[in-house]
Amino acid sequence: MSESILKTEKLTKVYAMGKRKIPALSGVDLQVNKGEFVAIMGPSGSGKTTLLNVLGCLDKPTSGKVILDEVDVAKLPEKELYKVRRDKIGFIFQTFNLLPYLNAIENVELPMECTKKSKSERRKRSRELLELVGLAGREEHRPQRLSAGEQQRVAIARALANNPAIILADEPTGNLDTKNKYEIVRLLANLNIDRGTTVVMVTHDSHMASQTERMLLLNDGKITKEKQGLHLTKKKLLCPYCGSKIQLNDERCPSCKKRL
Amino acid sequence: MRAFLVIIALGFSMAIMISIPAGIIANQKSTQNLTENFNSTISNMEEEINKTSTLIECSTSSGQSMFSGSPSGRSSGMPNFGFGQGEVFINETIGDEIRSVDGVKDVVPFLVKSSEENTSETISTPRGDFTVSRPLYTITGVCLNSSFIDDYSILPTNITAGRNLREGDSGVLVMSLNLTDYFGVEVDGNVEVNGESFTVVGVYNSTGQGFTGTRTVYMNLSDAQTVTGEIGNVSRFDVYAKDASYVDGIAEVIRAAYSNLYVTTYKDRLTSLENMQATYTETLSNAQSTLSQTQTVATQEIIVAVAATSLIVLFVMLYTVRERTKEIGTLKAIGFSNWNVMSQFLLEGILISLMAAVVGIAIGSIGAPILSSLLLPQINLFGGSSGRFQPMFRSANSGITGSQAASATLDPQLMLLAFGAAVLLGALGSLYPAGRAARIRPAEAMRYE
Repeated sequence: MSESILKTEKLTKVYAMGKRKIPALSGVDLQVNKGEFVAIMGPSGSGKTTLLNVLGCLDKPTSGKVILDEVDVAKLPEKELYKVRRDKIGFIFQTFNLLPYLNAIENVELPMECTKKSKSERRKRSRELLELVGLAGREEHRPQRLSAGEQQRVAIARALANNPAIILADEPTGNLDTKNKYEIVRLLANLNIDRGTTVVMVTHDSHMASQTERMLLLNDGKITKEKQGLHLTKKKLLCPYCGSKIQLNDERCPSCKKRL
Repeated sequence: MRAFLVIIALGFSMAIMISIPAGIIANQKSTQNLTENFNSTISNMEEEINKTSTLIECSTSSGQSMFSGSPSGRSSGMPNFGFGQGEVFINETIGDEIRSVDGVKDVVPFLVKSSEENTSETISTPRGDFTVSRPLYTITGVCLNSSFIDDYSILPTNITAGRNLREGDSGVLVMSLNLTDYFGVEVDGNVEVNGESFTVVGVYNSTGQGFTGTRTVYMNLSDAQTVTGEIGNVSRFDVYAKDASYVDGIAEVIRAAYSNLYVTTYKDRLTSLENMQATYTETLSNAQSTLSQTQTVATQEIIVAVAATSLIVLFVMLYTVRERTKEIGTLKAIGFSNWNVMSQFLLEGILISLMAAVVGIAIGSIGAPILSSLLLPQINLFGGSSGRFQPMFRSANSGITGSQAASATLDPQLMLLAFGAAVLLGALGSLYPAGRAARIRPAEAMRYE
């Protein structure tokens, strides 16, 4: 049995809209092991984003446990949570959320701003991370001068800055075209395989989800189904153009011959 | 662009904030100058009056007393506004009669008459400018008796070139410096006075006596009588008593005998000095009360400016926080603590107002005089004084009236204060917005577009 990095027990979240109470999560039990690549799928309104916010300590659950790296973060007081977010979690957003007035490397440095790392250490690590996501030479570019795919890569580098226990990605490919979608998934898959980074990705795109190891289906605030993805067993991805199986680092799709 | 506009707007309110104290400081300085000026004028006059305890002035016109431009610099500098008018002359033989009065030591006759040439000039007073036509200069004839010259100050002081008059001089004159330009002469040059030619033997400086300095030529009494056509006539006797105890008696005799003479003794001069002092004091207290009124207004205005500045910062920062809600959410999601976020915005508010302080100082250093004169009530230094004294203050320190707002300048201390205020108000104004930013819940902020 592999080691659990993130586990929830009877997790609920109820939003109060005046007197009406709207349950967003009604008893989610899930477990993500170290080094896993998990997709959470579900139609809109199923509570995907709420779940991710609770997992990422952006929101407090109404009840239940969220055990992240052996700590029940649901019990931590609000003012302690920023440390968990800073040190244990890397966030990736659908809209990238880079600071427009900072260049790529400064955006990557941002999460390290409030740590004890020296200026030169931060710069060095940011440079390495940008290289890792394939943006060497683009360090000084501001977000507006980068393509959408490149911006998401900067965001991934930023998420990795403090070497988090888990990466939480909220529709990371939602704003990207097919080619860039594929590249971001491949980047996450590579990080997962090469560096053992644990990734939890929320998506409503089944094609994207099936590239992962494990898919959790969320419906009405509950996990209703669990499926195995391609990634776990075969270390393979799907060609974004024809849907046939390809190797992780293939330059071209063997069946449709399109450049990846 | 928006930041630029905000900084300009803030800069203006900061400029107002620092121009007001600058104006107040300037007002205080002018009042202080005025006080010093008054005090020195009074003490100078007192000194002169005390030196001449035995002098009884007997003049044919009221204006010709020692306060009106007598020779020798004992004049206070009050110009004689009775130019050419009321010039009355009496026979010089009256001097001999006065000399026979008991207790009289010497009688020194003077002839003072305006030149035939006229000039028009504009005089500015606090009541407005007006043009007067006045005689170009005054001719003063002095009895050049060497014992008079030695014992009494009857001749001009402050000789700047050449020599003073002396016994036996004839056909020569000493002129005030401000006339040399007009005549275009120097020492040893020749000038025409009422058509008669004279040699200039000396030049004296008359500035400080009257607002442009009196313009006078001094010459032998008989020469003066000739050129003015007042043969045998004089306009004033300076009567010197043997002893101060005789003064009252002599004055009484002269007053009784010559009703057409204005007799002024040491006591009279002292009384008039006291009157003048009273007027000065009144003027000063008026200035002081206006100053304190000004300070009240200034305090209110500063409070408004401070409030405006912090409100501008407040609203700008509130807007910024709102606009950047998503960014704040992101920062929190990637591990910024509430304090990190708060300090970020506090710093931003302080930075904006610091930049505004720079702009404000720039505006203030150019516009402080205008701003302070717009915002502060004008001090009327002459509120309670009679018109007669107005030009005197002007002459004594030219431009007292105009100096108050014009000298509102920013000294380094004020600039330092402005920076201090900028930091304080920047922090104050952004405290609430920054606190709001810190309390933003990241999950909600992320949904905000």
